[in-house]
Amino acid sequence: MKAIFISCSQAHFEDARTILNQNGARGYTFWTELGGQGSVNGEPHYGDHTWPQLNSSILSIVEDHLVDRILDKLHKLDESAPKQGLRAFVWNIERTI
Amino acid sequence: MSLYQSSVNKPVTTILIFVAIAILGLFSLIKLPVNLIPDIDTNTIMVMTSYAGASAEDIENNVTKPLESILNGVSDLKHITSQSKENISIVTLEFNYGEDIDILTNDVRDKLDMLTTLPDECGNPIIFKFGADDIPIIMLSATANESMTGLYKILDDGVSSPLARIKGVGAVSIMGAPEREIQIYCDPYKLEAYNLSIEQIAQIVAQENRNLPAGNIDIGSNTYSMRVEQEFNDASEMLDIVVGHKDGAAVYLRDVATVDDRLQERSQESFTNKVQGAMIVIQKQSGANSVEIANKIHEKLPSLQKNLPSDVKLNVIVDTSENIVNTINALKETIIITFILVMFVVFVFLGRWRATFIIILSIPIALLGSFIYLFASGNTLNIISLSSLSIAIGMVVDDAIVVLENITTHIEKGSRPKQAAVFATSEVSISVIASTLTMLAVFLPLTLITGMAGVLFRQLGWIVSIIMIISTTAALSLVPMLCAYMLKLNPKQTKIHKILFTPIDKGLNSLSNGYGKAVDWAARHRGTTVLIAAVFFALTLVLTLPHLKTEYFPTQDNARLSVTIELPVGTRQDITRDLALELADRISSSVPEIRCLNIREGQADSENTIASMQSNGTHIISMNISLISVTKRKRGLIEIGEVVRDILREYSQIKKFNVIEGGQSGGVGGQNAVQVDIYGYSFEKTDAVAADLAARLRNVPSCTQVNISRDEYAPEYQVEFDREKLALNGLNVTTAAQYLRNRINGSIASYYREDGEEYDILVRYDKKYRESIEDIENITIYNSLGQGIKVRDLGIVKETLTPPTITRKDRERYLTVTGIVAKGYAMSDLVEDAEKELNQMDIPLGITWEFGGTYEDQKDSFRDLVILMTLVLILVFIVMAAQFESLISPFVIMFSVPFGFSGVFIGLVSTGSPLGIMGMIGLLMLLGIVVKNGIVLIDYTILCRERGMGIIRSVTEAGRSRLRPVLMTTLTTVLGMFPLAFGTGEGAEMWRSMGLTMIFGLSLSTLVTLILVPVVYSIFSGVGVRKERKKEIKKIKRAALMAANN
Repeated sequence: MKAIFISCSQAHFEDARTILNQNGARGYTFWTELGGQGSVNGEPHYGDHTWPQLNSSILSIVEDHLVDRILDKLHKLDESAPKQGLRAFVWNIERTI
Repeated sequence: MSLYQSSVNKPVTTILIFVAIAILGLFSLIKLPVNLIPDIDTNTIMVMTSYAGASAEDIENNVTKPLESILNGVSDLKHITSQSKENISIVTLEFNYGEDIDILTNDVRDKLDMLTTLPDECGNPIIFKFGADDIPIIMLSATANESMTGLYKILDDGVSSPLARIKGVGAVSIMGAPEREIQIYCDPYKLEAYNLSIEQIAQIVAQENRNLPAGNIDIGSNTYSMRVEQEFNDASEMLDIVVGHKDGAAVYLRDVATVDDRLQERSQESFTNKVQGAMIVIQKQSGANSVEIANKIHEKLPSLQKNLPSDVKLNVIVDTSENIVNTINALKETIIITFILVMFVVFVFLGRWRATFIIILSIPIALLGSFIYLFASGNTLNIISLSSLSIAIGMVVDDAIVVLENITTHIEKGSRPKQAAVFATSEVSISVIASTLTMLAVFLPLTLITGMAGVLFRQLGWIVSIIMIISTTAALSLVPMLCAYMLKLNPKQTKIHKILFTPIDKGLNSLSNGYGKAVDWAARHRGTTVLIAAVFFALTLVLTLPHLKTEYFPTQDNARLSVTIELPVGTRQDITRDLALELADRISSSVPEIRCLNIREGQADSENTIASMQSNGTHIISMNISLISVTKRKRGLIEIGEVVRDILREYSQIKKFNVIEGGQSGGVGGQNAVQVDIYGYSFEKTDAVAADLAARLRNVPSCTQVNISRDEYAPEYQVEFDREKLALNGLNVTTAAQYLRNRINGSIASYYREDGEEYDILVRYDKKYRESIEDIENITIYNSLGQGIKVRDLGIVKETLTPPTITRKDRERYLTVTGIVAKGYAMSDLVEDAEKELNQMDIPLGITWEFGGTYEDQKDSFRDLVILMTLVLILVFIVMAAQFESLISPFVIMFSVPFGFSGVFIGLVSTGSPLGIMGMIGLLMLLGIVVKNGIVLIDYTILCRERGMGIIRSVTEAGRSRLRPVLMTTLTTVLGMFPLAFGTGEGAEMWRSMGLTMIFGLSLSTLVTLILVPVVYSIFSGVGVRKERKKEIKKIKRAALMAANN
């Protein structure tokens, strides 16, 4: 089991969810409106007067074999509109109940 | 869930809600009545009191003065004026506009009840309310040849009664058609020979002309009623009446008199296009709609015409509804042109038809929404409500543009339209609401103005406010919803599209870059820029202000002229008639634009209220001239008025004339006149001042005609009986006067009945026996002993002068001198000239003067509007300060306001248009609109600064990026005003100055704002930064000092 944490611009949220749904990741948790900024470049998304855009995040725990497929699709999504910004991070799950 | 989120999620509900608004709006539009201006309640109450036999001065002292002092206590009173003339006192109370006249009428009635000091013989004071409703809405002419003798009855039965039955029609009166009368003309010498008098003959005629029931009789088994039916069936039957006996032989009426079945001796005559006929004046009931009634009347006229004799032709002389309908249609056209212009601008800037459609859709929805308000609040479609719509069109798209632009940006960055619609709207919602609030800060206070301007502009305030609220709601719900479903990520572009829009896009980009450079230069040369702006502002004020003219309302070209001509008092009717016809000839040949020319002259029947209310007499000619519509002729109304005046000036026998353009003086759209009220007790002194002023004004080029309100002393004959002689002969003044009246005016003996109508039978001396002073002196008066005494033995007949009516205003005697503003001049020119002349004049002690009438209204309204402007400025500042959470930013933005004024002054002076109420309203609206551009610029500049840019880079960047939206919103508003400012339809002069004000004010202030506001911003920010820096340096120094000390 691996955890995928997706942090993206609001604009990508629906598409990112669709990717998860279509690729067998049934379980996830999401936050639709949160602030943040990328480590390399791109505009910050704070939801304030200066930077009015916002981020959304999804945390999904999936079977190991699904990870690559999902990440590829997410990467394609990111490349379709690089200005919006989308990052995904994966790590191991130690234990679940 | 937010408004935009739910509307994107529920497209069906969203669309249907707006469809419902549109349908309700359409329904209201169909039901809305049409009128020229919003309904204005009358603001005057008249109190009429009769006191038979009292002279003007007695009336003034015993009736008018007590009435004035008690009525002065009524609340909200603006002016109290009065007329005291023989037998009657008329006190007129003028209130501020917009007060409830019914409550005031009750107040007046209560005050009158408290009055106990009026003379005993005085009649009870009667209260009249006279308002715009009492002005005739349609005047018809009925020309006739052979039917002239019976015209009154023909019209009464065939036209006036059927018209009066139409719902909403008030009084219908016939003028200029003399009524039938049976005249018994007696020969005084024969009467004397047979020892008879007029009174005896009248009595005998009355006794012979009788129908009487005699009771019932039983014959056999039946009961019959018994009647005497001896009324005359033919006027000639009267000739055989036995009126007396002389030497045993019967004296018949034919022996002493002739019987003439004919028309009234004296009556008003009316000529339409030089053919004699009658005039039918139609008034509406209070509160009824003129246009509706006029339509019904027009519908009915053909069927009425069919039932009239073939030589009687009905024609419309004046139809007030025609002008209303044409004006409203011209405005509707204006709105359509504005709509197309705005659509064009939006399309050019956006270059995409889907986006254009989304934005343009909010216009009809918002406009239709405002019709719901108009219908629900019982208002009408009028020039104020429709020009408000025209003004609003350019502004309703602003919010939609802002929202759409942000959504498009996000789509271009790669968002899906549906998601972009939600969060892009959310990003700009606060600033959209804030800019709407600034507009509301301007327009809602308009609903608070009092007075005439308040009555007019309350609708403007409400309509624009409602439209703004609807358009903002649409921008936050309908626009994102439509964007979500209609906009595409990468729309296909056709070849034509590329050919058309690539150069436009390039042009706009290079404009933005050029502008960015200009801002950059200006921000680096702040001192020079501010200095240039200040000098420019001062120069415009110095150069334009002395030439700026003001007025109340422009004279509306409603294709009507009314002319009153007075010949010397006592001119015989046939002389007046000849002159009237000659004048009609002259005027129609010099003014080919005349559609219909109607003349009236002669003494009106006192029973005819409408006719006797207007000035009439054998020496007075009244003309009603209707011209063809303004769109079909080259010369304007004022120019034609001058032509008529020039013709009238050529006739030396004309003592006074008054040409009124538009048919009414003053008020909204009426003739522009300056009224000087001259107060003083002495007739002689005030008359002299008035005559001097009138003579001076006649030589002033800005004045084309001068009228003095007070008439001169009018000549008349008086019979002065010697009371001693009367007493010696067993007579008194009343009996003697009654005898005199019966012989000259005649005594109504009885009524001749035919076909259900009654006609007077009048007994008097034949005309040839009452044409000279000698004839009057030879009249025989009989005493109770039957002795005949000649008038010349009882007194003398002498010529005297009757004093004119005593007029008072605010409890002091006054008279007015009215100057009509000449073509090419404004009211303020004449006011200035009149003031100069008055200051040069040697006015005797105790005589004072002041400007009254329209100028006073103008001053009041201007004062109200200036106060309102201050209020609006403060409110706009508050809204902006709240939006920016700062006091500096709104202050910076406010720098665009003075240049709005510069633009307005330059525009008005260069086009030679005076500043009127409409222009002032334009100025007021400008306050809200000019700051909008500033808000957009400063908002983005602050954003850039917060994103870490330097001051100069921020202002340059903000300018470059915000130029397009600023230009777009400004262009939609400015171009939206073009049809208003340059339209030529009927009534266009009314809103021209408003259009000009907005166009010039907004254009100049936008140009200046684009440079000056960034510069002023950088000055203030620079100061802020320097202060911060100083603080930092101090801190560092202090820290260093402390470190050194340690």
